[in-house]
Amino acid sequence: MRHPSEATLALHAGGDLGWIARWRVERHLTQCDECRQELTAFENVRSIAADLGEIPEVPWNRLAAEMRANIRLGLAAGECVRSAEAPLRETPLFTGARAVVAMASIAALLVTGLVLQGPRPMPTPVAAERTSVQAVDDGIEMGDGSQHAFRLKNASVKPVIVVGAQGSMRARYVDPDSGIVTINRVDVE
Amino acid sequence: MWNNWKPSLLLVCAGALAAQDGRLPQNAWQINLGERSPVLPVSMSQDDSRTSARGAALVLDLHMSMTLRNVSSNRIHGLTLMVVSQEAVKGGKGSVTYPSLNIGPGEVFPVRIDMQLMRPNQVAAGPLVQVRLDGVLYQDLTFFGPDRLHSQRYLTACELEAQRDREYFKKVLAQGGPKGLQQAIFEVHEKLTQANELGVKVTPGGPAVASAAMPDPHPVKFALLQFPDAPVEPLSGMAQVSGNEARTPRVEVLNKSGRNVQYVELGWILTDQSGKQSVAATLPSAEGTMYLPPGKTAFVQQESTLRLYSGARPANVKEMLGFVNQVQFDDGKVWVPGRENLDRPELRKIVPPSAEAQRLSELYFKRGLQALVDELKKF
Repeated sequence: MRHPSEATLALHAGGDLGWIARWRVERHLTQCDECRQELTAFENVRSIAADLGEIPEVPWNRLAAEMRANIRLGLAAGECVRSAEAPLRETPLFTGARAVVAMASIAALLVTGLVLQGPRPMPTPVAAERTSVQAVDDGIEMGDGSQHAFRLKNASVKPVIVVGAQGSMRARYVDPDSGIVTINRVDVE
Repeated sequence: MWNNWKPSLLLVCAGALAAQDGRLPQNAWQINLGERSPVLPVSMSQDDSRTSARGAALVLDLHMSMTLRNVSSNRIHGLTLMVVSQEAVKGGKGSVTYPSLNIGPGEVFPVRIDMQLMRPNQVAAGPLVQVRLDGVLYQDLTFFGPDRLHSQRYLTACELEAQRDREYFKKVLAQGGPKGLQQAIFEVHEKLTQANELGVKVTPGGPAVASAAMPDPHPVKFALLQFPDAPVEPLSGMAQVSGNEARTPRVEVLNKSGRNVQYVELGWILTDQSGKQSVAATLPSAEGTMYLPPGKTAFVQQESTLRLYSGARPANVKEMLGFVNQVQFDDGKVWVPGRENLDRPELRKIVPPSAEAQRLSELYFKRGLQALVDELKKF
C-alpha cells in the first residue's frame, strides 16, 4: 500500500487539498491507522500555531496595518516629488546648431581618416647623425668637418689612414725631420 | 635698462672670448709620464700651439716637439703617449704612437704631437693639456705602462709586422741584390703614393636618424679569405648595406688553434659599383668581451656605420671582402698575417704597407740605398 506524503497529510489537515486529492487521502485514511495518527498529529500542531497568533505581546494585525499605511505614504510622497521636478530636456535632442556641430565633427573625422590612410608624405632627407670621423687630405676631421682632430703640419706628407669600425681613425706618417713613424689616433667616443 | 646694458655686456663677452684666442702658454702643458717611467722628457718646444673659443668650447690646436731619453736598461721598440685636455669630453683626448723605434738605453729621441683637442670654455685651474705615458714596448716584446689604450697589443702587432717586413727586405737583398731591394721599395712607395680610391667615414652606433633618401638596407654577405696559417678562420658574415652605407658588420669566426683567443681583428675591404676598392676599416672584436676556446666559434661585430665616398660623391657599396688581420691569445701573444697572405691577388694592391715598410721607404728616398742597407743590418 502506498501512503500519502507528509506534505499531503499536512495540507489535508489544513483543508488545503483539491477535491480529488482530498478524496484519495480520505479513502486511504479509512484503511491506514498509521496515516490517521500522523494526520491527528498535524491537526494538533495547527491548533497550537493558531494559539500563538493570539499572543497579546505581538500585535501582528496592528503591525501589518501600520506597514500598509507606510507603504501608501511612501508612494504618495513619491508622486509629490515627481510632479515638482523640472523635466530633463526641455528642447529636442538635435537643434539646428547642435546638428551642425555634430555633422562638422563627423566630417572632420572622416577627412582625418582619409588623410592618414593615404600615401605618406616624403620627409625631407635629413643627414642628422652622430659624431663621425673621416679622413681628409691633410689629416682627420671630426664631426661636421668644423674641427680637425689631426692636421699634418707638412703638406707634402701624405698620411696612411686606418679606420677602425668601432669608431676610431689612425693617421700614420713618417716625420720628415726625425724619420720616426708617428701614428695619431682619434676616437669618436 | 636692459637695452642700455646690452652693448656693454656684449663687448665684455667678446673681449673675454678674444682673450682666449691666442698662443698657448708654456704652463698650459703638463708632461706626466708616471713614476718608474722608462722614458723621461729632456726638452720640449710647443711651437705655435694656440687656443681659440668656439661656442662653449675651447679648441686647442697643439703642435709640440719633445725629446725623450730612454732611462731603462732595454732597447725601446715602441711607445704610446696619451694627450688629454678633458677625459669626459668628446674630442677631449687622443693618442700618439711611435712604432718601429730602436732606442738603446741612455739614448735620446724626438717625438712630435700634432693634434686638435676640445675642452669646455670654463677655464679651470691647472694645465690645459696633459701628456701621459700609455706604454712602452721593449725589443724582447715585454711591455711597461698602464695600457689603457691597449697599446701593448697594437705595438706588439706593429713590431711583428716590422720584423716580418725587415726579414722580407733582407731576403730580397740577399736574393736580388740592391736592384731587387730597390724594386721592392718602389712597390711600397707606389702603394703609399696611390691615393686611396675610396674615402671612408665612420660613425659608431649608426645614424641617429635614417635618411629618407636612402634605399632600404639589405644584407650583403662577406667574401672571406682563408689564411692557412691563421689561428682563426672566418666562417661567414654579413652587413646591412643601403646605398653608400654599410652597417652593423658581423662575422662568425672559428678558433682553429690550440690556444684561447681573446681578440680578433678582421680587415674589411669594400668595393663600389665601378669596381673601386678600399680597405674600409679594421673590424675588431669588442674589447674585453671575447673568450674563444679552441674549436669554438664567436662573432666579431660592431654597431657602426661606414660610408663610402669617391671624392665628394657617395659610392654605392657592391661587394665586401674580409680577412683575419690580427689575433691575440689569452697569454698576450699576437698573430699577424705573413707576407705570403698579404701578397694574394685580392690583397696585394689594396692593403697598405706596414709602418716599418713605410719608414724604410722614406729612408731610401731621403738618404739612399746604402742608408737603407745599413739600417737593415742593425736588426
